[in-house]
Amino acid sequence: MSQPFRLPAGGHVDRAQNLAFTFDGKPFTGHPGDTLASALLANGVRLVGRSFKLHRPRGIFSAGPEEPNALAEMRDGARREPNTRMTQIELHDGLVAASQNRWPSLRWDLLSLNSLIAPVLSAGFYYKTFMWPAGFWEKVYEPLIRRSAGLGRASGQNDPDFYETMQAHCDVLIIGAGPAGLAAARVAGASGQRVMLCEQDSILGASLLGQDEAWRTATLAALAAMPNVTLLPRTNVFGAYDANVVGALERVTDHMLASPAHTPRQRYWTIRAGKIIHATGAHERFIAFPDNDRPGVMLAGSAAAYVRRFGVKAGRRAMLFANNDAAFEDFFTLQDAGIGIAGIVDPRTDSAGAEAARARGITVWADSQVIGTAGTLALQGARVARRGSSGTDTLVAADLLCVSGGINPAVQLASQSRTPVEWNERLQSWVPGTPILPQFAAGSVNAVTGIAAAAADGARAGAAATGGDAAISLPTGAVADATVLPFWEVSVKGKSFVDIQDDVTADDIRLAAREGYKHIEHAKRYTTHTMGTDQGKSGGLIGAAVLAAARGERVQDIGMPTFRPFTQPVTWGAIAGPNIGKHFEPTRLTALHDWHVRRGAEFMDTGAWVRPGLYPAPADSDAWDTVLREARAVRRSVGICDVSTLGKIDVQGKDAAVFLDRLYTNTFSTLPIGRARYGLMLREDGIIFDDGTTSRLAEDHFFVTTTTANAGPVMQHMEFYLQTVWPDLDVTLASVTDQWAAMSIAGPNARATIQKVVEGLDLSNEAFPFMAVGDATVKGCPVRVFRISFSGEMAYEIATPAGFAETVWQAVIDAGEAFRIEPYGLEALGLLRIEKGHVAGSELNGTTTASDLGLGKMIKKRGDFVGRALASRPGLTDPGRPHLVGIRSVSRGEQIRAGSHLVETGTTLSLGWITGVTRAVELDGWIGLALLEGGEARKGTRMTATSPLHGESVEVEILSPHFVDPENARVRV
Amino acid sequence: MIRIDCPWCGMRDEAEFTYRGDATVTRPGANAPEEAFHDFVYARKNPRGWHVEWWYHSSGCRQYLKVVRHTMTHEVRTVARATETPEVPSE
Amino acid sequence: MSVSEPPTSAPHAAVAALLKPGAHGATGGQPVRLAVRDVDIVQLLARKGRAEDAAAAIKAAYGFDLPSPGRSAGGDALAALWIQPDGWFLIAPRGTEGALARAVKAAVGDAGSVVDQTHGRSVITLSGARATWVLAKECRVDLHPAAFGPGRVASTQIAHLACTIHQRDAGPTYDLIVFTTFAKSFMESLTHAAEETGYVVS
Repeated sequence: MSQPFRLPAGGHVDRAQNLAFTFDGKPFTGHPGDTLASALLANGVRLVGRSFKLHRPRGIFSAGPEEPNALAEMRDGARREPNTRMTQIELHDGLVAASQNRWPSLRWDLLSLNSLIAPVLSAGFYYKTFMWPAGFWEKVYEPLIRRSAGLGRASGQNDPDFYETMQAHCDVLIIGAGPAGLAAARVAGASGQRVMLCEQDSILGASLLGQDEAWRTATLAALAAMPNVTLLPRTNVFGAYDANVVGALERVTDHMLASPAHTPRQRYWTIRAGKIIHATGAHERFIAFPDNDRPGVMLAGSAAAYVRRFGVKAGRRAMLFANNDAAFEDFFTLQDAGIGIAGIVDPRTDSAGAEAARARGITVWADSQVIGTAGTLALQGARVARRGSSGTDTLVAADLLCVSGGINPAVQLASQSRTPVEWNERLQSWVPGTPILPQFAAGSVNAVTGIAAAAADGARAGAAATGGDAAISLPTGAVADATVLPFWEVSVKGKSFVDIQDDVTADDIRLAAREGYKHIEHAKRYTTHTMGTDQGKSGGLIGAAVLAAARGERVQDIGMPTFRPFTQPVTWGAIAGPNIGKHFEPTRLTALHDWHVRRGAEFMDTGAWVRPGLYPAPADSDAWDTVLREARAVRRSVGICDVSTLGKIDVQGKDAAVFLDRLYTNTFSTLPIGRARYGLMLREDGIIFDDGTTSRLAEDHFFVTTTTANAGPVMQHMEFYLQTVWPDLDVTLASVTDQWAAMSIAGPNARATIQKVVEGLDLSNEAFPFMAVGDATVKGCPVRVFRISFSGEMAYEIATPAGFAETVWQAVIDAGEAFRIEPYGLEALGLLRIEKGHVAGSELNGTTTASDLGLGKMIKKRGDFVGRALASRPGLTDPGRPHLVGIRSVSRGEQIRAGSHLVETGTTLSLGWITGVTRAVELDGWIGLALLEGGEARKGTRMTATSPLHGESVEVEILSPHFVDPENARVRV
Repeated sequence: MIRIDCPWCGMRDEAEFTYRGDATVTRPGANAPEEAFHDFVYARKNPRGWHVEWWYHSSGCRQYLKVVRHTMTHEVRTVARATETPEVPSE
Repeated sequence: MSVSEPPTSAPHAAVAALLKPGAHGATGGQPVRLAVRDVDIVQLLARKGRAEDAAAAIKAAYGFDLPSPGRSAGGDALAALWIQPDGWFLIAPRGTEGALARAVKAAVGDAGSVVDQTHGRSVITLSGARATWVLAKECRVDLHPAAFGPGRVASTQIAHLACTIHQRDAGPTYDLIVFTTFAKSFMESLTHAAEETGYVVS
């Protein structure tokens, strides 16, 4: 249980407590404060993964989110999460993690044979090879690639945890809690404005950790005392969007074995910020040299962080390959911690860093470079040679090679905010330019390096954002110069990686350039450079520099690929958030829903509504039995249907009638009070939009109904015309869909049924004819009765305020008992309307005109209305357009299908299609409605309904769509 | 995500609104020829730069608003009521 | 035939029944409280150019000015909430079916359209020190005291559903007014969000 690489003191780990964890099934211990990476290093584990494509052995390369290699499958069972970065996994007792991308084991990976054929697996290999024959892609290539490449495995099970969202607002958002971010928060917080500070790490401080702890502690205490400041550790801002809106992911319980009850695993924040201060720091970059991916090669700043933050030695004998003094300072930290020092390789001829190193007794090979590494599964040494010399090289023994090619300011979020990036000569990297949105940059992202300078820059930004006072105490710590010698690649033969995660080498970039993929965006896609989970944080600029050299240009002149969200991977669970299962989308229930449930209805979804489809009885042998029984009750006696879902709009005002005249093809100003009229509404382009009945309740008061599907759109359509086209009209609109429940009572015994319960209204045919409307009561409940019919039978709709719905519905059912009343669902409703030839959603499908559906006579001849002008265009009035007809299978028992095409028998040219079918109760067999070219002229002929998908062809008769009572006499008795 | 400062409700997220297209076209009068209606329904300038658009505050005050938005940057400059004529920047 | 008096109806009983009395969700923290209010709701829409007349009529009948955008007025006996230009919800404790609508119509006459929405809207009350935090999980409107407060009203979307929020006091107490046919779906989302702090139904 010993941790041979743990330092006796120092760092933010609690050595008094041991945490047990397993990696690839092997037990280890670490301490609270560790990451999985630091704990593995403390235990001397070097090999932690295999690379994506070539399956090369890989070790821990960094100490943060830029990690390209150390990806783990975290947890097991249903909670297994692939591709988590070991450098960000907080160690906890019982943690189970496994390496990825190896088979059968990490040390002996069969697919590492890919390395032997590596010359073949060059840039664009997949594009070039797996192209032909096309059929091979699905069956051969893709499974092969999936097995050999790819990252970790998803659990394949439902995630037992849950995820939530949080909507936040603040005056100032500070991203990053290093010296600059903390100083900015201190200044901004003191102004009293609402401040949020997001830090992806579990503890705040970044480079302050293990340096000026006193300043860090005092600043955190000051911030904690400010109620206007919200600190969000473990929260990565992953994307910046328009108008200073950012997305952030808070890892709420990822550091625990399991989430406590009622606590989400992660929280997806949407933060709207008045101002944003980017204090996102910088990512160290490496240098491209042969075998720079060997386990034991690590970024210099990360090796120092393992000492300062975790009290861990990343190796026993370290050497440094760096082109800047700041990396020297980090390296000295290793020496001070007692790590053996093999020496420093510096491509510069002379530097202050080299002088300081020599003063510390460290060998410095100036004007030199690393031309290769030794070892297999772990680094054993590095080969050092003079720059430009073809002479001998020296093999220097070391198990840790620290690398630094300079730093890349983390400009991703600023760039996503449309801030242009500018080239910084000193750092040889991009920094944010002048922002377009109210934003600021501070600290190393702003090219201000060194702890005190960065904090001062943060205080300046905090003051600029809030008008506060920038004069605060500053921390002390690293001060070394981050200026670099431009040095990207060691130009010798070998596998010099520019993207370690994606196995992209400098040669791959040059190949892409030779083959014409010279644009940075093309080279990226051709080689997969920067396309991994690390998004090229460390190596992106190196690849760009290699490409620039291949093009004979400067790196700053060829740009970078566009930075897009996400800066770090975000789990699908967090993106889905609470919108899963029944919360995926809202459902809408009528006031009679509970009654339908008790009656044993089978439900159907129509939009958000959950509606009864049918009410099966024990004696029914199948669904058709049920539907035919329900429909037969309507045709022969009486049935009752919940039609509460129809859209209902209350229209009032002096100009209400004029307004409706302009919106419908019909005239409503002539409608008498107490009467209803069927109305047809067009879009401005002349196509049918919706239909429904409109009743006049008073001179200035109408009650409009819409189809269920268009309730919302019709209301918006009315509001659009009222507010923007005819704003002078005196009209008010109110949606009353939810206020009123409605039921349709239909069938020859409909009147006899409701007469028993409707009070205060003479329902005789003379007093209350077809299309009459009147107020009444049922069992004392207020109701409004409409004599309208969708089924073609004598029918009444009774509307009542929703709270009375069950009382009224039950009263009608009781009254209808003598007539064996049946509740009928959506299926029977569909049957009845097809028999009657009433159009519905399948025919009002956004392509049909009034004359297509035989409703041409509903178009008034005089006066303007929406759709009038364009409905008369030749293309919409062409008599050859598909026209509504009825169809019936010649062999009565033969089923026809909705969606089948209508062809002349013996041909294959489609002349129309079937929009809806049903078995009929009024006549034998199957009937349907269809839209058929020249439909009028074809009535009485026979055609073939063909469904190639089902291999079916059925001979059908073309008929009038009105199978039932074409004279419409029944509704008037 | 853009944010729209509704003259009735204040600053709100794009998610509360429904886009309703070009607000620079006007419905022709009752007796206008078919061509005028054709232009009203179909002819669009689709400018690169500042544009006046209808945004319907569907989850808020249910008002159609004239939003002056830059089609390249998504910047919203002015949000006006339906009956107002907002100023459109030249650049 | 005789017309009998309407039965005493409880239009909000079905929604109230969705809440089970007792403590739910996490314990040991600061739970929020949830309840359903039994109220009458009337939508008042001033006719073209008659907003001042409607306001004067309401002032004469009920003694307060109709509120400006984003605000409420009145009190528990009758509250007015701004919901759209020249449009308000008038909310009073549940009385006789239709009585509030008739009274408001009698007051405003032809200066306003009066639409009874008592059955079409449900009012869910969320209160307690952490109510704002719970609401912020799904509510995009800034409810911080610097931006909102007692007497403020906002119509927005919560859990994909249209919702009018009325802050009644600094507790804070929020009335959440939603479409009745969506009330069950809304309640399921709200109670799920409230489980993290815990919630109490009395």
